[in-house]
Amino acid sequence: MPRSLARIPAGVRFVFGESARLHRAIERTLLEVFEGWSYEEIILPLIDFYDLFARGMGEARAAQSYRFTDREGNLLSLRPDLTSLVARTVATRFSSAPLPIRVCYSGSVFRAEESGTGEQREIHQIGLEHIGSNRLEADIEILLVAIESFWRLGLDAFTITISHADFFAGLCERLQVNGESETTMRQLMDGRNTPGLKRFLAGLAPDHDVENFCELVRLGGKQEILERARPLVSNEKSSTALSELASVFSLVTALGMDRYVDIDLGDVGGLEYYTGLTMKFYAPGAGSAVGAGGRYDRLMANFGCDRPAVGFSLNLDLLSEIVRMAAIRSARHARQEVAVLTADGDLLAVFEQAKRTRLENGRVEIRTAEVAAR
Amino acid sequence: MTERVRIALSKGRVEDEALSLLARAGIEIERGNGNSRRLMLTDQAGQYDLLFVKSGDVPAYVRYGAADAGICGLDVLMEAAAPVHQPLDLRIGWCQIVVAGTKDAVGQSYNLLSTVRIATKYPRLTSAYFQERGVPIELVTLTGSVELAPVLGLSDRIVDLVQSGRTLKENGLFVLDVIAESTARLIVNRAAYQLHRSRVAELIHRLEEVL
Repeated sequence: MPRSLARIPAGVRFVFGESARLHRAIERTLLEVFEGWSYEEIILPLIDFYDLFARGMGEARAAQSYRFTDREGNLLSLRPDLTSLVARTVATRFSSAPLPIRVCYSGSVFRAEESGTGEQREIHQIGLEHIGSNRLEADIEILLVAIESFWRLGLDAFTITISHADFFAGLCERLQVNGESETTMRQLMDGRNTPGLKRFLAGLAPDHDVENFCELVRLGGKQEILERARPLVSNEKSSTALSELASVFSLVTALGMDRYVDIDLGDVGGLEYYTGLTMKFYAPGAGSAVGAGGRYDRLMANFGCDRPAVGFSLNLDLLSEIVRMAAIRSARHARQEVAVLTADGDLLAVFEQAKRTRLENGRVEIRTAEVAAR
Repeated sequence: MTERVRIALSKGRVEDEALSLLARAGIEIERGNGNSRRLMLTDQAGQYDLLFVKSGDVPAYVRYGAADAGICGLDVLMEAAAPVHQPLDLRIGWCQIVVAGTKDAVGQSYNLLSTVRIATKYPRLTSAYFQERGVPIELVTLTGSVELAPVLGLSDRIVDLVQSGRTLKENGLFVLDVIAESTARLIVNRAAYQLHRSRVAELIHRLEEVL
């Protein structure tokens, strides 16, 4: 065979045999979990206008997509992101649908990585978006869906780290750090570069506070992190963020799920479009996070439909490297009827019941009493 | 991660200093006795596995989680640009990353050279440094004896590590600019950092105590 036929571009992959079966089994299981929580699947186009992704993810990241023109000269992108596509679709086609809207997706995204970096250029993402509610129950719901997802895949020793975008945003406002220095501070904190962060903050706050702050964001933990953080932040934005995290964490604890969840205030990396709760997922065997998510209450407004939203996505390629077929716990539905639960008072009771129903593979839908269309 | 925390160490320049730092932190290995060629050794308390790899390879081992943690110079870390956590400056293996050139180059502005040809072991770091200053360069990537390049006219300047400055001096070269100061850092895999928090915290704590 001529060599030119065997040659492949960098960063592409083939999946076959046992690996392909595992890949499909994981995808099926996760879609069943999402459906069990009343998320409707949406199949999205592979290409769309570049402008759409620039609005969704920002110019800098959208520019890392494969771009080309159609016959009319419109600039198109091979989709680098699914959340932007979901947001635009919901904003333009479901703008009058009852809230909240729950959608899930599974598909490839493409990133034009530099040659020679060894990075994958095609990544299979699977995830969901909960649109139209800015309330605690929406955040808790998607955390529970994520926890169930890992449990169904047999990855029992996973960790979800949570933080809040406004914790960092409030600090930057207070310290008058913006533009390039905000990026620097973000990188130092995200890289847990304690010596660098100390140097950066020197002079911006009392030495003692800087010392304590750097210690605080170096490592994550449980409830005690919030207690240590409170005396260190005086600005309202960061304090509100800490209170919101405290509400999430105490409900997660009451539901007996706190062993899976850590508070990690140093987690400030990733997409800048997050506005509230943020989360990252880690599982044994993978050297990096297997997924991420969070609240992005301003994204939908970029598409002309101002709605709060929260979601997460998982990297199916990474998951297929660490999940064992035999460990998967099927999520096939036991029955068709949906248990409709209204979250208008005792959230703990509602989510306890949702958990029980899901353990029996029943379907649930959580209705929010009053959905804020901010 | 296995039961033991795996730490990748760079062989060579900072190896001895790193091992004595670890020993002070109570992480001791027995070298010699036929052990000297083994690439992975367990410490005496059975808590840590130490791997010995080429200095430039430490970030790769840690990035992909083959090692949970590693010790390597900031120079290596800047060049690798690997997404790993770096919680601790170990304050050993001090050196500078410098631009150096022959006597003629001292005081000469880059503007007088249309394109500067630079020989280095650090192509990424070098490109970033000159791009930021708007100086067009041509890179010659070498893997050793970089100091020879300007002497033989292979390049106008070099970007390299300097400790005492003796090698530069012996080859008739002068420091033109210091790009960064480098010391050894503790680096940790991002997933290990979250999944094995208490063991990572213990390692950081033990090292911090003896700095």
